[in-house]
Amino acid sequence: MWKRSAKGIVFTFHLAGINNQNFLMRDDETGTYWQQISGRAISGPLAGTQLDPVYSDELTFALWRHEAPDGTVLKSVPRDSGQYEAKDWDAHMASVPTVLSFPATGIASRELMLGVAAFGASRAYPVSRILSEKLVEDRVGTEPILLVVGPDDTSIRVFRACWRTCEAAPEYYRQTANLDGSNALAPLFMDSATGSQWAFNGCAVSGQLAGRCLEPVPALKDYWFDWRNYHPETTVFRR
Amino acid sequence: MQSSRVPRVAFTLVPLLALISFACFVYPFFVISPFRRQGPRELRAALFVAQIGPWLSILCAVACIALVIYAWPGLRGWVRRSGSILCILIALLGAVLTRLNLYEQMLFHPIRGPQFEAAAHAKIDADDMVLAVRIHNASRAYPIREIAYHHVVNDTLAGVPIAATY
Repeated sequence: MWKRSAKGIVFTFHLAGINNQNFLMRDDETGTYWQQISGRAISGPLAGTQLDPVYSDELTFALWRHEAPDGTVLKSVPRDSGQYEAKDWDAHMASVPTVLSFPATGIASRELMLGVAAFGASRAYPVSRILSEKLVEDRVGTEPILLVVGPDDTSIRVFRACWRTCEAAPEYYRQTANLDGSNALAPLFMDSATGSQWAFNGCAVSGQLAGRCLEPVPALKDYWFDWRNYHPETTVFRR
Repeated sequence: MQSSRVPRVAFTLVPLLALISFACFVYPFFVISPFRRQGPRELRAALFVAQIGPWLSILCAVACIALVIYAWPGLRGWVRRSGSILCILIALLGAVLTRLNLYEQMLFHPIRGPQFEAAAHAKIDADDMVLAVRIHNASRAYPIREIAYHHVVNDTLAGVPIAATY
């Protein structure tokens, strides 16, 4: 998700090609080519220009609708709806060949990762591992972070683990039973320092810190080969 | 009487101009294609050709036509004349194809003027994934099964121009 303006120009982007299976966009206004994953102009009059990222989440519709009941949803385009992906498209994509691979890493090219590039570092988290563990505390660069699986056991969010500057984050514990999979605002996890209970939106709903919110950290769900190609310095979470 | 040199020059230049025009389309189309690895240098070259191609191909096509017209009286035999016509057609084809976005026209149709509906009315399964964004007090969701096809949605939310990409 990108702000589609830079240098005083509002861009209209079009799909314009592919670069090692990550797509290229081209804007009508200047004819510049942009890389989708990085938001960087790679050829044309504005080559080198960087689009500003916009924080976004990948959530189940039920969870999002509960969090944003007044929100709006993109309508499907009737003439194209027959070509939209099937529900099991992730499973189908797992068998599609890639043009890049990094066999020395021992990670399958199409393994789904949650990539975090923040605090001067980049780190990849196998999605299957995070979904299995439900709550992971880790560090990216020097910053403690928290990866939390939502009550739907599908959506994942990442937060800075401290609600103020800290060197050692508190421990967190996630509830595992009696969860309403569509309720994004119910207590989901608690911290050991204050006993406050936090919802999936990263805000404390009860306890000493009620009303305080953890800072969300942008994360990108991506295939390993693509994440590694654009983040050659990335580390990988393994447990 | 027209010099015999003209048909010889035309005979060399006309196919060359046709090839250049067609290459303006073929080279980027071949390099920037799915399931093919793109090296950084060839990608840079292909994108450069894609940007100058529409103009270069038109120039080549016009020059091709002009040369054939000029050299026509000296082009003897049906082989040379039909070959020249073929070269013009190839040059024109290149000029047309360089102006088309085949990715959008043949593969993934764009969304022109995206439409939205209230969350309560959206006919989307509860477990379908959406790409969700919130700007100021406005929230919007893009069903991933839809934008995985369209690839990019040019939108404006709370006055902020954004591009939802997948």
